[in-house]
Amino acid sequence: MQPMDNAYKPHLVTVEAITDETPDVRTLRLTFKDPNVAHAFTFRAGQFAEYSSFGDGECVFCIASPPTRKGYVECSFKLAGRVTTALRDAEVGDTLGFRGPYGNSFPIETFVGHNLLFIGGGIGMAPVRSIFENCLDLRDQFKEITILNGARSVADLVYKQQVAEWERRPDLRCVCTVDPGGETPDWKGEIGFIPTVLEKMAPSADDTYAVLCGPPIMIKLTLQTLAKLGFPPERIYTTLENRMKCGFGKCGRCNVGPVYVCKDGPVFSAAQLATLPPDM
Amino acid sequence: MSQTPKMLKDLGALAGAIMASGVSVVAPSAGPGPSRFRRLASAEELAMPRVNTQLPPKEHLFPPTEPLLRFRYRGTDVELTDPPLPAEKLVLLGVRPCDAAGIALLDAVFLADPTDPFYAARRANATIVAVGCARADDDCFCTAVGLSPHSSYGSDLLLLPAEGGYLAEAVTDKGRQLVAAHASLFTDAASARAAAPPKLQRASLDGVDEQLQAAFADARWAAIAARCLGCACCASVCPTCHCFDIADEASARSGVRLRSWDACGLEMFTKHTSGHNPRPNQPARFRQRVMHKLSYSVASLGRPLCVGCGRCISHCPVGMDIHQAAAQFATSG
Amino acid sequence: MSESWEPRIVAFVCNWCTYVGADLAGTSRRTYAPNVRIIRLPCSGRIDPRFIVRALEQGADGVLVSGCHPGDCHYTKGNYYARRRYLVFNSLLNLLGLEPDRVRFAWVSAAEGNKWAELVNLTVDAVRALGPLKLYAEPSEAAPVLQSSSEQTAGGMPAIDTELAERGVRQAARELLEGGDAELVIGYVQTPNGTVVPGFVSTPAEAERLVWNDRCVHNLTTYLTGERIGANGKVAVVVKGCDARAAVALMQESQLDRQRVKLIGVECHGVRGECGQLADKCGACELHTPHICDVLASADGAVSRPEAPGTEPTSFPASQRVKAELAELMAMSPAQRLAFWRAELSRCVRCYACRAVCPLCYCQICAADRNQPQYLAPGSDWKGALSWEVTRALHLAGRCVGCGECVRACPQGIRLDLIQSFLADVVQRELGSVSGADPQALPPLSTFRPEDPEEFIL
Repeated sequence: MQPMDNAYKPHLVTVEAITDETPDVRTLRLTFKDPNVAHAFTFRAGQFAEYSSFGDGECVFCIASPPTRKGYVECSFKLAGRVTTALRDAEVGDTLGFRGPYGNSFPIETFVGHNLLFIGGGIGMAPVRSIFENCLDLRDQFKEITILNGARSVADLVYKQQVAEWERRPDLRCVCTVDPGGETPDWKGEIGFIPTVLEKMAPSADDTYAVLCGPPIMIKLTLQTLAKLGFPPERIYTTLENRMKCGFGKCGRCNVGPVYVCKDGPVFSAAQLATLPPDM
Repeated sequence: MSQTPKMLKDLGALAGAIMASGVSVVAPSAGPGPSRFRRLASAEELAMPRVNTQLPPKEHLFPPTEPLLRFRYRGTDVELTDPPLPAEKLVLLGVRPCDAAGIALLDAVFLADPTDPFYAARRANATIVAVGCARADDDCFCTAVGLSPHSSYGSDLLLLPAEGGYLAEAVTDKGRQLVAAHASLFTDAASARAAAPPKLQRASLDGVDEQLQAAFADARWAAIAARCLGCACCASVCPTCHCFDIADEASARSGVRLRSWDACGLEMFTKHTSGHNPRPNQPARFRQRVMHKLSYSVASLGRPLCVGCGRCISHCPVGMDIHQAAAQFATSG
Repeated sequence: MSESWEPRIVAFVCNWCTYVGADLAGTSRRTYAPNVRIIRLPCSGRIDPRFIVRALEQGADGVLVSGCHPGDCHYTKGNYYARRRYLVFNSLLNLLGLEPDRVRFAWVSAAEGNKWAELVNLTVDAVRALGPLKLYAEPSEAAPVLQSSSEQTAGGMPAIDTELAERGVRQAARELLEGGDAELVIGYVQTPNGTVVPGFVSTPAEAERLVWNDRCVHNLTTYLTGERIGANGKVAVVVKGCDARAAVALMQESQLDRQRVKLIGVECHGVRGECGQLADKCGACELHTPHICDVLASADGAVSRPEAPGTEPTSFPASQRVKAELAELMAMSPAQRLAFWRAELSRCVRCYACRAVCPLCYCQICAADRNQPQYLAPGSDWKGALSWEVTRALHLAGRCVGCGECVRACPQGIRLDLIQSFLADVVQRELGSVSGADPQALPPLSTFRPEDPEEFIL
């Protein structure tokens, strides 16, 4: 019998490694069980997937690892509801599901030859990390690279291990900040909300593309700061988070205006965002 | 390909002939609950409604609940199985042009890449025989959304009421094949004319997609939607509503991933697990319904997602009226 | 059925009596059937009928429910509440046609190790005789059609002129708005094409938009709770007698503050049903004049503020037709009943129109919308549909006032009125309670009497 091309059927993945980024954020490193899938799998930074805990359901997260690193995919998620609880309970060796990659991606080809500014707030660092490390892996194709990584507190900063590596690199500028009151006595980084710190850093908007992701309020205020700094909306990219189910434009849930965030996004430029109705 | 107009004398005879050939006929017929399309056990069961069935035929292509996937736990491993693809050949007979258009719009959603295999299988196995309307009621407004009571959009074979039976127009290859398979029932009808389509009362909504787009932040939505109760009645009776949820139902050993009808009118539809809801109140949710049906879809699909069947209006327990709501913005220019 | 099939029974037991009793059976080396899996809860009062249904949904062939004897509850009263709940649930299972031996209730004390063992053996033997649970298997009988449905009608529309009462409603609304007793009046208005719908007016001038006629079928009290338009601020709502009962039910549950909400009662002699004739519920109506309201608009045009506008209703408004249909159903075999209900309830598509129109469905987050835990089976296949229908029926048992809105709203025409009428009859007969009558009364499942019936409990 001919196997059905079931668009709803996930690939089976094994949990390879678990990292607790913060008390409520976990990163899973997943490998495909089917060697053919593992061999053929590609994606672009910014794309997302539907991750299954069979019996509990599916959940959408971006693919947090960069496409330049083969052999695995990583997702980072915050503990929130039923599926994230089940994913958090998964142990190394357990089987999960992976459906994807879905969505559009960051226009990395457009970034080539330009300066890049990355801004990630809290768990919003996950999609930023994918495109950021993608660019780092192709470092000489870009000019100056800056990353601003912020969180509520030191404990809430994600990717501490990766950040330590980024801070050591001479070919990029890495700034970390925590909200006022979120610092520890030995905190060496910035203290202040992301838009404030960004304004203080005053990165040049000249020939620079910005990528940002974080909680809705952070995106809103940071967009205002970027505008103040002279960034035109066509050169600012963000990735939206919406409640999603099918991931490919059929279930209707992520419909915003004439687009589906899953199919026509989740990556949008600020210029595109401005054309969408504000119900997201 | 023959261009001679054909006449079908009797719908029941066609139903009987199709069933005799081993193909199921799903058509309006009596049974418990509201009038709907049911599998006929005999041609006598066919009962064409005066205007339209209370429920659209979409449940036969897109059922309220269906399994997408089955899984079985094997230690730390999981075994996945595809549910069998529906294989039954059937003819949807007696579909009004609005509902046929609805099917074409569902096609645009479900058959787009990546194809939904379950819908695609049912759709491939189905032949749509539309029957044009002789009457309309107060809630009908297909003409307001660019269709007509005699439109062929979405049908394989269109039968228009005429003197002595129905004027048959084969719209697609499937339609032509159906006529050929039961050629004895279709006589030449050189001079036959279809009866005039009924006149609909409700005003046109031409251009309303742009007016609605400009009206997103309009203060009138609160008053328009004040009585909306936030159920999914309208979505469930709509020929084109296709939103669905996916949920797992499992025991300790195995489970199934189910797809079920869902609706933008329900509060939980866009609610994030964090509690944040981009559409936090009923006016925002009702507005989404109107926008999606009559504005956004024009931009994304090229035509409204609403086919003007009027069922949402007649079924809504509090009389929400998508046509009246949209028309308010149309007249204000 | 394979030779090796053994019944799988889930037992929900209370921690303090039955669990200890079961333990005693073990320490006494009492041998008994091993087919039972025990789930321990603090009290039988914590045992929600949904757990029982969920057990069946997840593959149990039978369920055993047991707790302390009434009077001996570790938490004093838990099992008294449980007893009433079980009575209603057991009656519902009977109506639906589930074999009685599949779900069994008992009181087993900490000293009754032998009783526990006997109870388990009895249950396992009974379920073994019935075979695996067939509830979710393909139906074995063709669904019967109720003859009584077509034999009886509520009757023709009464020839009452509603114009004077309409003026009275407008006057009452105007006066409340002018006097500052209400900032919003929820009443009936007419759309441009003549359909009567719920409407909201907030100025004395707008009160002229209100209408009153035999198409004013909606129960407007549903707008008084939750996120609805009448949930906050000073509100007045137009109520017919049936709607006033719902208002009374809300008062009983502390959901209607009479300081904030004023009831504009209107004398009603019937509204039109779906087919244009007198609505079924109107045939059995005792309350042409609402028994509670703040202002009354009478049919003769008078507007008054009576202390006691009408007499308290004495029964649930079940029409002769509904009573005949229920009698016909209960005369059938359980298997025929189950076939009837399966055909009826499996039409459900989980649109929740019934929930949305019901004034008494006001939970901020409905049990159906929770997935932590998954209280209900998802979807609208038979399992999911039954999950929802049973849960809703039980949540409304003893509270539903029979306004009929759920049946009117249901796009699938499901006979929710039959279920609620049946349960209301059980509640009145066995527990002596009538819904929506006395604002001071407690809803029947929120209270108990030590002498409540329990013949069905072992």
